[in-house]
Amino acid sequence: MAIGIIANPASGKDIRRLVSSATTIDNYEKVNIVERIVKAVIALSNEKIYFMPDSFMIGFTVIDDLKISGEDVSNLEVLQMPMSGSMYDTVYAAEIMEQLEVGCIIVLGGDGTSRAAAKGLKRKTPLLSVSTGTNNVYPRLVEGTVVGMAATALTHMDDVSKCCIKDKRIEIYVNGVMKDIALIDATVSADDYIGARAIWEAKKIRAIVASRCHPASIGFSAIPGAMTIIKDTDDIGVCVIPSENGTSVMAAIAAGTLEKMTLGDPVIMKLNEPLELTFDEKCMIALDGEREVKVRPGEKIEFKITKEGPYRVLVRETIEEAQRLGFFRTKDK
Amino acid sequence: MKKTMTYSEGIKEGMSIRMREDPNVVLFGEDVGRFGGCFGVSAGMFEEFGPDRVRDTPISESAIIGCAVGASSTGLRPIAEIMMMDFLTVAMDQMCNNAAKLRFMTGGKLHFPMVIRTAGGAGVNAAAQHSQSLEAWVTHVPGLKMVFPSNAQDALGLMLSSIDDENPVVYEEHKAMLAMESEVDMDMGPIPLGKGNIVRPGKDVTIVAVGKMVHEALAAAAELEKEGIEAEIIDPRTLYPFDMDMVANSIDKTHKAIVVSEEVRRGGYMGEISAQIAENFFDALDAPVKRIGALNTPVPFSPALESQYLPNAADIVKAVKAQG
Amino acid sequence: MAGKKETIRDLYTTMRRIREFETCASNLFAEGKIPGFVHLYLGEEAIATGVCANLKGDDYITSTHRGHGHIIAKGGDTKFMMAELFGKATGYCRGKGGSMHIADGSRGIIGANGIVGAGQSISTGVGLTILLHKTDQVCVCFFGDGSTNQATFHESLNLASIWNLPIVFVCENNGYGISLPQSKHQKVKDVADRAPAYGIPGVVVDGNDVFAVSEAAAEAIKRAREGKGPTLVECKTYRQHGHFEGDPAIYKPKEEQEAWLKKDPVKRMVKYMLEEADFTQAEVDAVDKAAQDELKEAIKFAEDSPYPAPETGVEDVYDDIVEEVRDR
Repeated sequence: MAIGIIANPASGKDIRRLVSSATTIDNYEKVNIVERIVKAVIALSNEKIYFMPDSFMIGFTVIDDLKISGEDVSNLEVLQMPMSGSMYDTVYAAEIMEQLEVGCIIVLGGDGTSRAAAKGLKRKTPLLSVSTGTNNVYPRLVEGTVVGMAATALTHMDDVSKCCIKDKRIEIYVNGVMKDIALIDATVSADDYIGARAIWEAKKIRAIVASRCHPASIGFSAIPGAMTIIKDTDDIGVCVIPSENGTSVMAAIAAGTLEKMTLGDPVIMKLNEPLELTFDEKCMIALDGEREVKVRPGEKIEFKITKEGPYRVLVRETIEEAQRLGFFRTKDK
Repeated sequence: MKKTMTYSEGIKEGMSIRMREDPNVVLFGEDVGRFGGCFGVSAGMFEEFGPDRVRDTPISESAIIGCAVGASSTGLRPIAEIMMMDFLTVAMDQMCNNAAKLRFMTGGKLHFPMVIRTAGGAGVNAAAQHSQSLEAWVTHVPGLKMVFPSNAQDALGLMLSSIDDENPVVYEEHKAMLAMESEVDMDMGPIPLGKGNIVRPGKDVTIVAVGKMVHEALAAAAELEKEGIEAEIIDPRTLYPFDMDMVANSIDKTHKAIVVSEEVRRGGYMGEISAQIAENFFDALDAPVKRIGALNTPVPFSPALESQYLPNAADIVKAVKAQG
Repeated sequence: MAGKKETIRDLYTTMRRIREFETCASNLFAEGKIPGFVHLYLGEEAIATGVCANLKGDDYITSTHRGHGHIIAKGGDTKFMMAELFGKATGYCRGKGGSMHIADGSRGIIGANGIVGAGQSISTGVGLTILLHKTDQVCVCFFGDGSTNQATFHESLNLASIWNLPIVFVCENNGYGISLPQSKHQKVKDVADRAPAYGIPGVVVDGNDVFAVSEAAAEAIKRAREGKGPTLVECKTYRQHGHFEGDPAIYKPKEEQEAWLKKDPVKRMVKYMLEEADFTQAEVDAVDKAAQDELKEAIKFAEDSPYPAPETGVEDVYDDIVEEVRDR
């Protein structure tokens, strides 16, 4: 089975480099990470690999580099698809890769990139999210070589259920119409334009809904995480709203940035049960940290936690299962 | 008060006097700080004025001059050091296209009171990239002024005037003269730009010489004196604006002119001076103007070759005699 | 929120004035009324507007050959600008600089510059003045993607970084260095990727979204004012015209041009005002009308102004020396 690779060239460069101490990942480093992934795949079984095309030409650069170093690049292919230079490239690439029935899609980027890929997936194509930055909850920091090993192993397994987990997601409805989804958190802030996308001013936050939360996370889910812990496997979500008479907590809303927030009690959200909110000012809903959905005063917003999230690859479990199945043993001595 | 000091100390004294008076005067360049400058000219200034005003820069000549342009247009009076005159070529754009022209191009909206200090000249076996005399390249650019002292008094007085000037001034210091001592009248103050100096009066021939060549001219004059020829030596001190009146008055008396500089002879600035003399004072001349300069080659390294490359007193004596 | 609406109106007014100035300049050049080379800012209006909205009167900018937008956004007077483009005596530079060299020290405009990358080095000196005068001013240095291959870019970011100068380096990445697309003149796609090499933060923003630019600029300017040193802000945009007027820009793919025209910053702002910010069409029209009137007046001023007298051509070379005039 083939493997899909989506590497977002735009991740790791936004305003968080200014408003917090987030890492800058240059695109050359992304090329290096992808090369390490691909080399592991080629070494283990040389599966077909599809790359999302992008403006930095990460896929083509990787193919060229590997060709020069004598690798067999006959199974590497950059998808031919129209490009918009926006997150919809990722959505669309994930959709095409799923149609091509890849055994796994590797996504490199931040929470936003994983969210975009998740939007494109309709079936149970396993999603392996790799972090390329500091502000992430959904993608994990894993060495590219190991990512390539896990993805290859996965495509050789008959049953991947031990290696994957069906994720929750947050569905956002405005006036009864589903507008968008988030994987980790949906944060309402008193902004009235998309601007530089990220949000970083705690005083503008009006509500936070999270599908999971932990005080060790970086981002807005760390705020409810400071009061309660909800795991990825728990069938619940949480909502917190700032309240002057509430409890004050410190949380890492961005890399290197701990903010004090005073909150009302966390409201536990059951699966599939919508939680309704309205605000009397213009707001933006930031999805996994990025301003996306505009809301006018008085509009009815509903947040719903569902199990319709992506089918996420657990890298460590996959590698362990592959080892049990003898995947890393070779026939020749 | 009179004091004996080196050429190098004269430069430093000029900078220090103005830095004590005006907090906007700053010095920056490669190794000018604690190291005291490549030739030790700014030794002690870092200690006296501190790291804010005596600043070491990275080895980035273009940025050094660009920085001086920006600083001078916004209220500082920077002295930017380019360690070797040869390295001016690296900063040519900032010097010629920006420092020199921005005042004009902005219709006088911006002005650039800045000094570019740089060590020129050969004679220390530093080869062709550390020895050049690029007076022609500097004086060719409208908007720049240029000075080139030949002794400690002038070094001090010209530095004061260069800092005081509202225009970019290139201040050349000859690296082989830095340790040369002479007497300085500490009360003399600034030497106006464009005012030459009659180093030695005479009636038979006018020798215009700058920088280290003033001393070769003096040696030549001593030789000529033995044969009854009295040479008048004029050190213009400032290459632009140039004290042509002083030269004209001298030629009126001597009717002969020889121009001497350490530049490569072809296309040198002394060629321009020679042309102006020929154009304007032809009738006063009894002989063609003679240019004396370096050979038309890069500066060679070997002492044997370098001494051949450089013009000297003997060349001047020969030229005077040839004029008859 | 009234204040907010005024802020939006101000941003739009600046963008529209730049658009109007550049459109007029383009037409006047085509009619042969403006001599020389003219490089227009069409399509990049959101950047100068978003950045300069965060600057105070005594803050500084350095600009480029494509500088009209910066000058207008920093408070330059379109009358004197237009007169300069015409080569008239009443122009900002008395007719000696033209389109590429407009400066106004009284507004902190340390000159547009015809040498690609020159402003970068100059900005370090401005930063040094601010540092030594211990004020909270900043210097914004505008430049394009093409200039980031000049030595000045590297020297200046390095110097600004090592001296911790209060400079915001704003790269207007319009996709082209003259005729060469960015992909053919540098291997990096994001100029901001170069920032870590100088130990400073670098960010990428949508240069056609005035709010995105303004937010990033605000943070970068704040860092500079607080003594935290320089920042590189890369604004992704597109040069809608050729490198200079008269350049047919046949090297630009048609689809690329069309895709970017859809992202036109001025149209985007109008859409936002009408759909999101409670502006009426009449309110938008009023801003447009005022910009048109202003430019009509500026052009009239330029046309009615005299050419410079010959003797002024030898002035301003030096503060104290007037060169010889040609005897005719």
